[in-house]
Amino acid sequence: MATPILEVEKLTKYFGGLAAVKDVSFAVPEQHIYGFIGPNGAGKTTLFNMIAGALEPSAGHIRSRGKDVTGHRPFSLVKSGIARTHQIVCPFRAMTVLENVQVAAHFGRKNITRTAAARDHARQVLAWVGLDHQADTLAANISLGDQKRLELARALATDPELLLCDEICGGLNPKETRAMLDLLERIRQNGTTIMYVEHDVKAIMAVCDHVMVLNYGQKLAEGKPEEIQNDPAVIEAYLGKAGSQKKGSRPVA
Amino acid sequence: MTTAVFAPSRLEARARLVLPGLLLVVLALLPTAGLTPNLIRLLFITFVWVTASLGWNLLGGFTGQVSFGFAVFYGLGAYTAALMIDRGVNPYLSFLGAALIPALASFFIGLPTFRLRGPYFAIATIGVSEATRVIMNNLAITGGASGFRIVEHRPFRQVDHYYTALAMAALAVAVSFLIQHSKFGMGLRAIKQDEEAAADLGVNPYAYKLAIHAVAAALTGMAGGVFARYAAFIYPQGVFSFQTSVYILLMPVIGGIGTVWGAVLGGVVFGMVEEQLVANFPQIHLLLYGSLLILIILAEPDGLAGLLGKLFRRLRTPR
Repeated sequence: MATPILEVEKLTKYFGGLAAVKDVSFAVPEQHIYGFIGPNGAGKTTLFNMIAGALEPSAGHIRSRGKDVTGHRPFSLVKSGIARTHQIVCPFRAMTVLENVQVAAHFGRKNITRTAAARDHARQVLAWVGLDHQADTLAANISLGDQKRLELARALATDPELLLCDEICGGLNPKETRAMLDLLERIRQNGTTIMYVEHDVKAIMAVCDHVMVLNYGQKLAEGKPEEIQNDPAVIEAYLGKAGSQKKGSRPVA
Repeated sequence: MTTAVFAPSRLEARARLVLPGLLLVVLALLPTAGLTPNLIRLLFITFVWVTASLGWNLLGGFTGQVSFGFAVFYGLGAYTAALMIDRGVNPYLSFLGAALIPALASFFIGLPTFRLRGPYFAIATIGVSEATRVIMNNLAITGGASGFRIVEHRPFRQVDHYYTALAMAALAVAVSFLIQHSKFGMGLRAIKQDEEAAADLGVNPYAYKLAIHAVAAALTGMAGGVFARYAAFIYPQGVFSFQTSVYILLMPVIGGIGTVWGAVLGGVVFGMVEEQLVANFPQIHLLLYGSLLILIILAEPDGLAGLLGKLFRRLRTPR
């Protein structure tokens, strides 16, 4: 197998004495959609924040195409081809949708200096995600579904090799979710690798090639979606031990 | 439809140059129209204020970093020009120094203070500003608190000062527009709205803030230098005072924060009104500013420029 696009080795994050993520290792192969699931507080977002440079890891290493990028700041990670979307959308509200994406075109891996060229690139990306009809609307005035798309369009306009999507379907209705998952599939077919965190297990199982389950900050299981679904440890983490008194409660570690 | 947007916008950009160009020509011809020296002086002061206002607007308006410390740059510019002219350096060269030294100082101020956000940054700039004033009050080579008299061994010609200040203000307008319509300007706008989101898209907020701080300091310092040469006497309680910082911040807020013409308008209104207020209401002129500030923030956060824009649109659209 070729060198993975991202290698994570024993990544650990402590908040005070509490390990939010502990000794998590994995490798993301190129052009995969690599999913992460786990109960609330399992450490999915913390893991993402470390990879995207928003949080400094307490220990461990992150390598992008063999290059160590542990502790790099977000803006330099973007230049190395790692972009992210946020669970809670954060558009530049006083800018138009087009201008939002234009910023990404300017400062992403393409590093476009000319304004007109950046706008052109932004328009293409907007058309690609199906948001071109909103190009001149203020970002504050579009629906949540469109804001999620804008979040994705901005990340894409930085021309990433690896895209980190944090709950991109959160708050969307089933129809919008379906459309968003189709979009993720198209992004992958376009050559971008995706790491995908989602609460909705069905959504993850539908698009991912490979899934990792986190529980209490540690890797519980990983494998193909169908393997994960039948893994007894996973079922236990989500539903509790068969025969335990409170169904649905989490096992005591 | 999307491709058609480009052609008219370029035409529009040309048209946008016509009005400022015309304004510049009129202002350049004004001294030949037999203005009184007092009026020329008033216009000179106005150009100086406009430049400082535009300088502050780059950091405060474009980038959203509210600084109460621009008197540091204004004062350093004034003193740099004063010391250079005093040592026989060509005054126009000294204005370059008046831009460079404050720009350099802006890094020393920005490196620690830009680690702070929002109100904490604003408060820190007050501290830096006051500390600088105290140091300048006690510095021997500048004459300390008793001030510094600039002796220039050449005849005083008022129109020279007028044209210098006009050229400087025009430069500040040009720099502002160039930045606004550039990649750099887009990065600043992004930082103003959401620093984290900007960083996630590849903008380095810290570096960008330091860079625009330096440009803003250079323009403000140059304004201080040009003023110093005209005034021929400067002292720390004047150019380095907290009041100077407040004045520089007040202008873009009055005129319309974040827009180039708003900052210009604020400078013009301030330049024209300030002296009258000080002369006619020496006890309460600051009270009047304060009231004006509150009124504007409450009623029209986009300043006078925003108000004029609204009026204009209302007149254009027939009911």
